[in-house]
Amino acid sequence: MEFVRRNRILLTTGGLLLVSLLLYSVSIRSQPYRDPVGQVLLDTLAPFQAVFSLIGRGAGRVWSGYVDLVGARRDNQQLQERVAALESELLRLGELERENARLAELLAFRARLQGIAYGARVIARDPGPLSMTVTIDRGARDQIRRGMAVLAPQGVVGQIGDASHTAARVVLLTDHNSGIDAIVQRSRARGIVQGGMDGSCHMNYLSRDADVAVGDRVLTSGLDGIFPKGVLVGEVVEVSRRHRGLLQAAVVRPSVALDRLEEVLVVDATAQVVEPPA
Amino acid sequence: MRTAAVIGLVVGFGLLVQTTLFHALPFGVHPAPDILVVVCVFLGLHRHTVGGAVAAFVLGYLQDAVSGSAAGLNAFGMVVIYLLVYLTCRRLWVDNVLSKVVLVFLASCLKSIAVLAVSALFGAFDGEWGPTLSSMMVNAALAAAVAPLLFALMTGARLPEGRPAR
Repeated sequence: MEFVRRNRILLTTGGLLLVSLLLYSVSIRSQPYRDPVGQVLLDTLAPFQAVFSLIGRGAGRVWSGYVDLVGARRDNQQLQERVAALESELLRLGELERENARLAELLAFRARLQGIAYGARVIARDPGPLSMTVTIDRGARDQIRRGMAVLAPQGVVGQIGDASHTAARVVLLTDHNSGIDAIVQRSRARGIVQGGMDGSCHMNYLSRDADVAVGDRVLTSGLDGIFPKGVLVGEVVEVSRRHRGLLQAAVVRPSVALDRLEEVLVVDATAQVVEPPA
Repeated sequence: MRTAAVIGLVVGFGLLVQTTLFHALPFGVHPAPDILVVVCVFLGLHRHTVGGAVAAFVLGYLQDAVSGSAAGLNAFGMVVIYLLVYLTCRRLWVDNVLSKVVLVFLASCLKSIAVLAVSALFGAFDGEWGPTLSSMMVNAALAAAVAPLLFALMTGARLPEGRPAR
Protein backbone atom coordinates (compact mmCIF):
# COMPACT_ATOMS: atom_id res chain seq x y z
CA MET A 1 0.00 0.00 0.00
CA GLU A 2 2.90 2.24 0.80
CA PHE A 3 4.33 1.44 -2.63
CA VAL A 4 1.12 2.55 -4.30
CA ARG A 5 1.00 5.77 -2.25
CA ARG A 6 4.62 6.64 -3.01
CA ASN A 7 4.30 5.90 -6.71
CA ARG A 8 0.74 7.05 -7.24
CA ILE A 9 1.67 9.54 -9.93
CA LEU A 10 3.75 7.08 -11.88
CA LEU A 11 1.03 4.48 -11.60
CA THR A 12 -1.64 7.01 -12.59
CA THR A 13 0.28 8.26 -15.61
CA GLY A 14 1.06 4.68 -16.62
CA GLY A 15 -2.61 3.84 -16.43
CA LEU A 16 -3.53 6.95 -18.34
CA LEU A 17 -1.03 6.08 -21.07
CA LEU A 18 -2.61 2.67 -21.42
CA VAL A 19 -6.09 4.20 -21.49
CA SER A 20 -4.93 6.66 -24.16
CA LEU A 21 -3.53 3.92 -26.34
CA LEU A 22 -6.64 1.83 -25.86
CA LEU A 23 -8.86 4.77 -26.67
CA TYR A 24 -6.79 5.56 -29.74
CA SER A 25 -6.83 1.98 -30.86
CA VAL A 26 -10.60 1.82 -30.53
CA SER A 27 -11.19 5.14 -32.22
CA ILE A 28 -9.03 4.44 -35.28
CA ARG A 29 -10.40 0.94 -35.74
CA SER A 30 -14.05 1.88 -35.24
CA GLN A 31 -14.81 4.41 -37.96
CA PRO A 32 -18.40 5.02 -36.88
CA TYR A 33 -17.14 5.76 -33.37
CA ARG A 34 -18.51 9.12 -32.23
CA ASP A 35 -16.93 10.77 -29.27
CA PRO A 36 -19.79 12.20 -27.14
CA VAL A 37 -17.43 14.53 -25.26
CA GLY A 38 -16.07 15.87 -28.52
CA GLN A 39 -19.58 16.62 -29.81
CA VAL A 40 -20.56 18.49 -26.65
CA LEU A 41 -17.30 20.38 -26.78
CA LEU A 42 -17.82 21.30 -30.41
CA ASP A 43 -21.27 22.66 -29.65
CA THR A 44 -19.92 24.62 -26.71
CA LEU A 45 -16.96 26.07 -28.53
CA ALA A 46 -18.70 26.76 -31.84
CA PRO A 47 -20.00 30.29 -31.04
CA PHE A 48 -16.66 31.30 -29.55
CA GLN A 49 -14.83 29.82 -32.51
CA ALA A 50 -17.05 31.86 -34.83
CA VAL A 51 -16.14 35.05 -32.97
CA PHE A 52 -12.43 34.20 -32.93
CA SER A 53 -12.51 33.32 -36.63
CA LEU A 54 -14.13 36.66 -37.31
CA ILE A 55 -11.38 38.41 -35.36
CA GLY A 56 -8.73 36.36 -37.14
CA ARG A 57 -10.16 37.13 -40.57
CA GLY A 58 -10.40 40.83 -39.65
CA ALA A 59 -6.78 40.82 -38.54
CA GLY A 60 -5.91 38.94 -41.74
CA ARG A 61 -7.66 41.53 -43.86
CA VAL A 62 -5.86 44.36 -42.05
CA TRP A 63 -2.57 42.56 -42.58
CA SER A 64 -3.31 41.86 -46.26
CA GLY A 65 -4.32 45.49 -46.73
CA TYR A 66 -1.07 46.62 -45.17
CA VAL A 67 0.95 44.24 -47.34
CA ASP A 68 -0.97 45.37 -50.44
CA LEU A 69 -0.38 49.00 -49.49
CA VAL A 70 3.34 48.40 -49.11
CA GLY A 71 3.33 46.58 -52.47
CA ALA A 72 1.37 49.39 -54.12
CA ARG A 73 3.80 51.97 -52.78
CA ARG A 74 6.74 49.97 -54.10
CA ASP A 75 5.03 49.48 -57.47
CA ASN A 76 4.22 53.19 -57.61
CA GLN A 77 7.82 54.10 -56.94
CA GLN A 78 9.05 51.66 -59.58
CA LEU A 79 6.55 53.00 -62.11
CA GLN A 80 7.55 56.58 -61.37
CA GLU A 81 11.19 55.70 -61.91
CA ARG A 82 10.23 53.91 -65.13
CA VAL A 83 8.24 56.91 -66.36
CA ALA A 84 11.15 59.23 -65.58
CA ALA A 85 13.55 56.92 -67.43
CA LEU A 86 11.21 56.70 -70.42
CA GLU A 87 10.69 60.46 -70.51
CA SER A 88 14.44 60.94 -70.45
CA GLU A 89 14.79 58.39 -73.24
CA LEU A 90 12.05 60.12 -75.23
CA LEU A 91 13.81 63.43 -74.82
CA ARG A 92 17.08 61.90 -75.95
CA LEU A 93 15.45 60.28 -78.97
CA GLY A 94 13.72 63.55 -79.91
CA GLU A 95 17.04 65.34 -79.67
CA LEU A 96 18.69 62.67 -81.81
CA GLU A 97 15.91 62.96 -84.37
CA ARG A 98 16.31 66.73 -84.60
CA GLU A 99 20.09 66.41 -84.81
CA ASN A 100 19.69 63.81 -87.52
CA ALA A 101 17.44 66.17 -89.49
CA ARG A 102 19.92 69.03 -89.12
CA LEU A 103 22.85 66.86 -90.18
CA ALA A 104 20.89 65.53 -93.15
CA GLU A 105 20.19 69.11 -94.17
CA LEU A 106 23.86 69.98 -93.73
CA LEU A 107 24.83 66.99 -95.82
CA ALA A 108 22.42 68.02 -98.57
CA PHE A 109 23.92 71.49 -98.46
CA ARG A 110 27.40 70.02 -98.62
CA ALA A 111 26.39 68.17 -101.78
CA ARG A 112 25.57 71.52 -103.36
CA LEU A 113 29.09 72.74 -102.69
CA GLN A 114 32.13 71.98 -104.78
CA GLY A 115 35.47 72.20 -102.99
CA ILE A 116 36.83 71.57 -99.53
CA ALA A 117 34.35 71.79 -96.67
CA TYR A 118 34.54 70.70 -93.04
CA GLY A 119 31.62 69.98 -90.81
CA ALA A 120 31.88 71.47 -87.32
CA ARG A 121 29.79 71.68 -84.18
CA VAL A 122 29.17 74.89 -82.27
CA ILE A 123 30.48 74.37 -78.75
CA ALA A 124 30.32 77.84 -77.22
CA ARG A 125 28.92 81.34 -77.67
CA ASP A 126 30.32 84.73 -76.86
CA PRO A 127 28.71 85.91 -73.66
CA GLY A 128 29.54 89.60 -74.31
CA PRO A 129 26.95 91.97 -75.76
CA LEU A 130 29.30 93.80 -78.13
CA SER A 131 30.73 90.99 -80.19
CA MET A 132 28.84 88.27 -82.01
CA THR A 133 31.02 85.15 -82.14
CA VAL A 134 30.68 81.43 -81.61
CA THR A 135 33.30 78.75 -81.04
CA ILE A 136 33.41 75.55 -83.10
CA ASP A 137 35.08 72.23 -82.30
CA ARG A 138 37.53 72.25 -85.19
CA GLY A 139 40.83 74.09 -85.34
CA ALA A 140 44.17 74.28 -87.08
CA ARG A 141 44.73 70.52 -86.84
CA ASP A 142 41.61 70.11 -89.04
CA GLN A 143 42.94 72.61 -91.62
CA ILE A 144 40.77 75.42 -90.29
CA ARG A 145 42.39 78.78 -90.90
CA ARG A 146 41.59 82.39 -90.20
CA GLY A 147 39.40 83.93 -92.92
CA MET A 148 37.60 80.77 -94.04
CA ALA A 149 33.89 81.09 -94.71
CA VAL A 150 31.39 79.50 -92.35
CA LEU A 151 28.06 78.43 -93.80
CA ALA A 152 24.87 76.72 -92.77
CA PRO A 153 22.26 75.06 -94.98
CA GLN A 154 20.15 78.22 -94.71
CA GLY A 155 23.01 80.53 -95.74
CA VAL A 156 25.98 82.55 -94.49
CA VAL A 157 27.00 82.30 -90.85
CA GLY A 158 30.23 84.30 -90.77
CA GLN A 159 33.94 83.69 -91.10
CA ILE A 160 36.75 82.22 -89.02
CA GLY A 161 38.21 85.02 -86.91
CA ASP A 162 40.79 82.99 -85.09
CA ALA A 163 41.81 79.32 -85.00
CA SER A 164 43.62 77.45 -82.24
CA HIS A 165 44.85 73.87 -82.52
CA THR A 166 41.55 72.24 -81.67
CA ALA A 167 38.94 75.00 -81.93
CA ALA A 168 38.12 78.14 -83.85
CA ARG A 169 36.19 81.31 -83.23
CA VAL A 170 33.63 82.30 -85.83
CA VAL A 171 32.82 85.97 -86.32
CA LEU A 172 29.11 86.00 -87.16
CA LEU A 173 27.82 88.19 -89.96
CA THR A 174 25.96 90.28 -87.37
CA ASP A 175 29.24 91.23 -85.64
CA HIS A 176 30.32 94.80 -86.22
CA ASN A 177 33.73 93.56 -87.44
CA SER A 178 32.16 91.43 -90.14
CA GLY A 179 31.99 92.48 -93.81
CA ILE A 180 30.68 90.39 -96.69
CA ASP A 181 30.62 91.42 -100.34
CA ALA A 182 27.03 90.81 -101.44
CA ILE A 183 24.52 91.44 -104.22
CA VAL A 184 20.76 91.79 -104.35
CA GLN A 185 19.57 88.70 -106.20
CA ARG A 186 16.80 90.43 -108.20
CA SER A 187 18.62 93.60 -109.34
CA ARG A 188 22.24 92.46 -108.88
CA ALA A 189 22.89 95.70 -106.94
CA ARG A 190 26.15 95.33 -105.00
CA GLY A 191 27.02 96.33 -101.46
CA ILE A 192 28.75 95.23 -98.25
CA VAL A 193 26.79 93.39 -95.56
CA GLN A 194 28.05 94.45 -92.13
CA GLY A 195 27.00 93.85 -88.57
CA GLY A 196 25.92 96.64 -86.29
CA MET A 197 26.82 97.26 -82.67
CA ASP A 198 23.33 96.21 -81.69
CA GLY A 199 23.44 92.81 -83.43
CA SER A 200 21.55 94.00 -86.49
CA CYS A 201 22.78 93.49 -90.04
CA HIS A 202 22.97 96.15 -92.78
CA MET A 203 23.79 96.18 -96.44
CA ASN A 204 25.86 99.33 -96.91
CA TYR A 205 27.53 101.03 -99.80
CA LEU A 206 24.59 100.55 -102.16
CA SER A 207 24.54 103.23 -104.86
CA ARG A 208 21.66 105.64 -104.43
CA ASP A 209 20.03 104.60 -107.67
CA ALA A 210 20.37 100.85 -106.99
CA ASP A 211 17.11 98.96 -107.18
CA VAL A 212 16.58 97.56 -103.67
CA ALA A 213 13.22 96.75 -102.17
CA VAL A 214 11.87 95.10 -99.05
CA GLY A 215 11.75 91.33 -99.54
CA ASP A 216 14.73 91.20 -101.87
CA ARG A 217 17.12 88.31 -101.24
CA VAL A 218 20.77 89.14 -100.67
CA LEU A 219 23.45 86.66 -101.86
CA THR A 220 27.20 86.53 -101.59
CA SER A 221 28.93 87.97 -104.64
CA GLY A 222 32.05 85.81 -104.40
CA LEU A 223 34.24 88.82 -105.09
CA ASP A 224 35.78 89.01 -101.61
CA GLY A 225 37.69 85.78 -102.10
CA ILE A 226 36.23 84.37 -98.91
CA PHE A 227 32.63 83.29 -99.52
CA PRO A 228 31.52 81.19 -102.48
CA LYS A 229 29.31 83.06 -104.90
CA GLY A 230 25.54 82.68 -104.62
CA VAL A 231 25.11 81.77 -100.95
CA LEU A 232 22.06 83.31 -99.32
CA VAL A 233 22.88 86.01 -96.78
CA GLY A 234 19.42 87.22 -95.86
CA GLU A 235 16.41 89.22 -96.85
CA VAL A 236 15.95 92.98 -97.05
CA VAL A 237 13.45 94.10 -94.43
CA GLU A 238 13.96 97.86 -94.65
CA VAL A 239 15.50 100.30 -97.12
CA SER A 240 16.88 103.59 -95.90
CA ARG A 241 17.43 106.57 -98.17
CA ARG A 242 17.72 109.17 -95.47
CA HIS A 243 21.34 109.72 -96.10
CA ARG A 244 22.20 112.51 -98.38
CA GLY A 245 24.82 111.81 -101.00
CA LEU A 246 25.48 108.94 -103.37
CA LEU A 247 24.67 105.90 -101.22
CA GLN A 248 21.77 104.15 -99.60
CA ALA A 249 21.54 101.27 -97.07
CA ALA A 250 19.22 98.39 -96.34
CA VAL A 251 18.51 96.44 -93.19
CA VAL A 252 19.00 92.74 -93.84
CA ARG A 253 17.54 89.90 -91.76
CA PRO A 254 20.03 86.98 -91.81
CA SER A 255 18.67 83.80 -93.33
CA VAL A 256 20.35 81.73 -90.62
CA ALA A 257 18.97 81.70 -87.10
CA LEU A 258 22.31 82.61 -85.57
CA ASP A 259 21.13 82.29 -81.99
CA ARG A 260 20.16 78.65 -82.55
CA LEU A 261 23.18 77.55 -84.53
CA GLU A 262 24.44 74.03 -83.79
CA GLU A 263 26.25 72.62 -86.83
CA VAL A 264 28.07 74.52 -89.58
CA LEU A 265 30.23 73.94 -92.64
CA VAL A 266 33.63 75.62 -92.89
CA VAL A 267 34.68 76.10 -96.53
CA ASP A 268 37.82 77.45 -98.11
CA ALA A 269 38.07 80.10 -100.79
CA THR A 270 38.07 77.60 -103.63
CA ALA A 271 34.63 76.26 -102.82
CA GLN A 272 31.79 77.01 -105.19
CA VAL A 273 28.04 76.58 -105.03
CA VAL A 274 27.02 74.14 -107.75
CA GLU A 275 23.34 74.87 -107.42
CA PRO A 276 22.54 78.42 -106.27
CA PRO A 277 19.39 79.03 -104.17
CA ALA A 278 16.19 79.23 -106.17
CA MET B 1 -9.82 26.87 -7.12
CA ARG B 2 -8.55 30.15 -8.46
CA THR B 3 -5.70 28.34 -10.23
CA ALA B 4 -8.13 25.87 -11.74
CA ALA B 5 -10.25 28.73 -13.04
CA VAL B 6 -7.26 30.48 -14.58
CA ILE B 7 -6.03 27.22 -16.09
CA GLY B 8 -9.51 26.59 -17.45
CA LEU B 9 -9.56 30.04 -19.03
CA VAL B 10 -6.10 29.55 -20.52
CA VAL B 11 -7.11 26.14 -21.89
CA GLY B 12 -10.33 27.51 -23.38
CA PHE B 13 -8.53 30.50 -24.87
CA GLY B 14 -5.75 28.26 -26.13
CA LEU B 15 -8.19 25.87 -27.84
CA LEU B 16 -9.97 28.77 -29.51
CA VAL B 17 -6.80 30.48 -30.61
CA GLN B 18 -5.23 27.29 -31.92
CA THR B 19 -8.30 26.31 -33.90
CA THR B 20 -9.30 29.71 -35.28
CA LEU B 21 -7.14 32.80 -34.99
CA PHE B 22 -3.85 31.52 -36.33
CA HIS B 23 -5.50 29.75 -39.24
CA ALA B 24 -7.26 32.91 -40.33
CA LEU B 25 -4.05 34.95 -40.55
CA PRO B 26 -2.73 35.28 -44.14
CA PHE B 27 0.83 34.10 -43.55
CA GLY B 28 0.71 31.29 -46.10
CA VAL B 29 1.71 28.71 -43.48
CA HIS B 30 -0.27 28.43 -40.29
CA PRO B 31 1.97 27.92 -37.30
CA ALA B 32 0.15 27.95 -33.99
CA PRO B 33 1.67 27.72 -30.53
CA ASP B 34 0.47 24.65 -28.69
CA ILE B 35 -0.83 26.50 -25.65
CA LEU B 36 -2.13 23.32 -24.08
CA VAL B 37 1.41 21.96 -23.97
CA VAL B 38 2.43 24.98 -21.90
CA VAL B 39 -0.41 24.24 -19.50
CA CYS B 40 0.63 20.60 -19.36
CA VAL B 41 4.22 21.56 -18.56
CA PHE B 42 2.90 23.87 -15.86
CA LEU B 43 0.96 20.97 -14.36
CA GLY B 44 4.01 18.75 -14.57
CA LEU B 45 6.04 21.37 -12.73
CA HIS B 46 3.56 22.42 -10.08
CA ARG B 47 0.84 19.78 -9.75
CA HIS B 48 2.40 16.56 -8.56
CA THR B 49 -0.89 14.90 -7.78
CA VAL B 50 -3.16 12.31 -9.36
CA GLY B 51 -5.40 15.23 -10.29
CA GLY B 52 -2.49 16.83 -12.18
CA ALA B 53 -1.93 13.66 -14.22
CA VAL B 54 -5.63 13.31 -14.96
CA ALA B 55 -5.77 16.99 -15.95
CA ALA B 56 -2.93 16.38 -18.44
CA PHE B 57 -4.93 13.49 -19.90
CA VAL B 58 -8.03 15.68 -20.10
CA LEU B 59 -6.06 18.39 -21.88
CA GLY B 60 -4.99 15.93 -24.55
CA TYR B 61 -8.47 14.51 -24.78
CA LEU B 62 -9.92 18.00 -25.28
CA GLN B 63 -7.38 18.64 -27.99
CA ASP B 64 -8.35 15.39 -29.68
CA ALA B 65 -12.01 16.30 -29.46
CA VAL B 66 -11.51 19.75 -30.95
CA SER B 67 -8.88 18.95 -33.52
CA GLY B 68 -10.78 16.06 -35.06
CA SER B 69 -7.95 13.57 -34.64
CA ALA B 70 -8.65 10.13 -33.27
CA ALA B 71 -9.40 10.23 -29.55
CA GLY B 72 -6.51 9.27 -27.32
CA LEU B 73 -3.66 10.44 -29.55
CA ASN B 74 -3.03 13.85 -28.03
CA ALA B 75 -4.10 12.49 -24.66
CA PHE B 76 -1.23 10.04 -24.91
CA GLY B 77 1.18 12.85 -25.87
CA MET B 78 0.08 15.06 -23.00
CA VAL B 79 0.43 12.29 -20.43
CA VAL B 80 3.91 11.56 -21.78
CA ILE B 81 4.82 15.22 -21.35
CA TYR B 82 3.41 15.36 -17.87
CA LEU B 83 5.28 12.25 -16.83
CA LEU B 84 8.61 13.40 -18.26
CA VAL B 85 8.31 16.92 -16.82
CA TYR B 86 7.39 15.42 -13.48
CA LEU B 87 10.41 13.11 -13.56
CA THR B 88 12.67 15.90 -14.80
CA CYS B 89 11.76 18.40 -12.12
CA ARG B 90 12.29 15.77 -9.44
CA ARG B 91 15.92 15.56 -10.48
CA LEU B 92 16.70 18.96 -12.01
CA TRP B 93 16.18 22.47 -10.73
CA VAL B 94 13.61 23.99 -13.07
CA ASP B 95 12.61 27.29 -11.64
CA ASN B 96 13.86 30.21 -13.76
CA VAL B 97 12.12 31.48 -16.87
CA LEU B 98 14.78 30.34 -19.31
CA SER B 99 14.76 26.74 -18.10
CA LYS B 100 10.97 26.68 -18.30
CA VAL B 101 11.04 28.06 -21.84
CA VAL B 102 13.53 25.39 -22.87
CA LEU B 103 11.42 22.76 -21.13
CA VAL B 104 8.30 23.88 -23.02
CA PHE B 105 10.19 23.77 -26.32
CA LEU B 106 11.50 20.28 -25.64
CA ALA B 107 8.12 19.11 -24.33
CA SER B 108 6.35 20.37 -27.45
CA CYS B 109 8.88 18.60 -29.67
CA LEU B 110 8.59 15.46 -27.59
CA LYS B 111 4.83 15.48 -27.76
CA SER B 112 4.98 15.79 -31.54
CA ILE B 113 7.39 12.89 -31.77
CA ALA B 114 5.29 10.78 -29.40
CA VAL B 115 2.12 11.52 -31.37
CA LEU B 116 3.82 10.70 -34.68
CA ALA B 117 5.35 7.55 -33.24
CA VAL B 118 2.03 6.28 -31.93
CA SER B 119 0.33 7.16 -35.23
CA ALA B 120 3.01 5.32 -37.14
CA LEU B 121 2.78 2.38 -34.74
CA PHE B 122 -0.91 2.04 -35.39
CA GLY B 123 -0.42 2.61 -39.11
CA ALA B 124 -2.32 5.87 -39.12
CA PHE B 125 0.60 8.00 -40.29
CA ASP B 126 2.10 7.40 -43.71
CA GLY B 127 3.29 10.92 -44.52
CA GLU B 128 6.84 12.32 -44.59
CA TRP B 129 8.46 12.88 -41.23
CA GLY B 130 10.72 15.74 -42.35
CA PRO B 131 8.17 18.45 -43.20
CA THR B 132 5.90 17.35 -40.36
CA LEU B 133 8.68 17.60 -37.79
CA SER B 134 9.91 20.93 -39.13
CA SER B 135 6.45 22.50 -38.83
CA MET B 136 6.18 21.02 -35.35
CA MET B 137 9.51 22.63 -34.45
CA VAL B 138 8.08 25.99 -35.46
CA ASN B 139 5.02 25.35 -33.32
CA ALA B 140 7.28 24.34 -30.44
CA ALA B 141 9.27 27.55 -30.79
CA LEU B 142 6.05 29.56 -30.73
CA ALA B 143 4.85 27.68 -27.66
CA ALA B 144 8.18 28.44 -25.97
CA ALA B 145 7.77 32.11 -26.92
CA VAL B 146 4.35 32.45 -25.28
CA ALA B 147 5.29 30.26 -22.32
CA PRO B 148 6.63 33.05 -20.01
CA LEU B 149 3.39 35.00 -20.30
CA LEU B 150 1.20 31.98 -19.63
CA PHE B 151 3.40 30.82 -16.76
CA ALA B 152 3.16 34.28 -15.24
CA LEU B 153 -0.63 34.16 -15.52
CA MET B 154 -0.96 30.72 -14.00
CA THR B 155 1.73 31.21 -11.34
CA GLY B 156 0.17 34.51 -10.28
CA ALA B 157 -3.11 32.72 -9.66
CA ARG B 158 -1.51 29.74 -7.94
CA LEU B 159 -2.36 29.00 -4.30
CA PRO B 160 -0.07 26.87 -2.17
CA GLU B 161 -1.44 23.49 -3.06
CA GLY B 162 0.26 20.29 -4.11
CA ARG B 163 4.03 19.98 -4.00
CA PRO B 164 6.02 23.07 -4.94
CA ALA B 165 8.46 22.93 -7.76
CA ARG B 166 12.06 22.31 -6.89
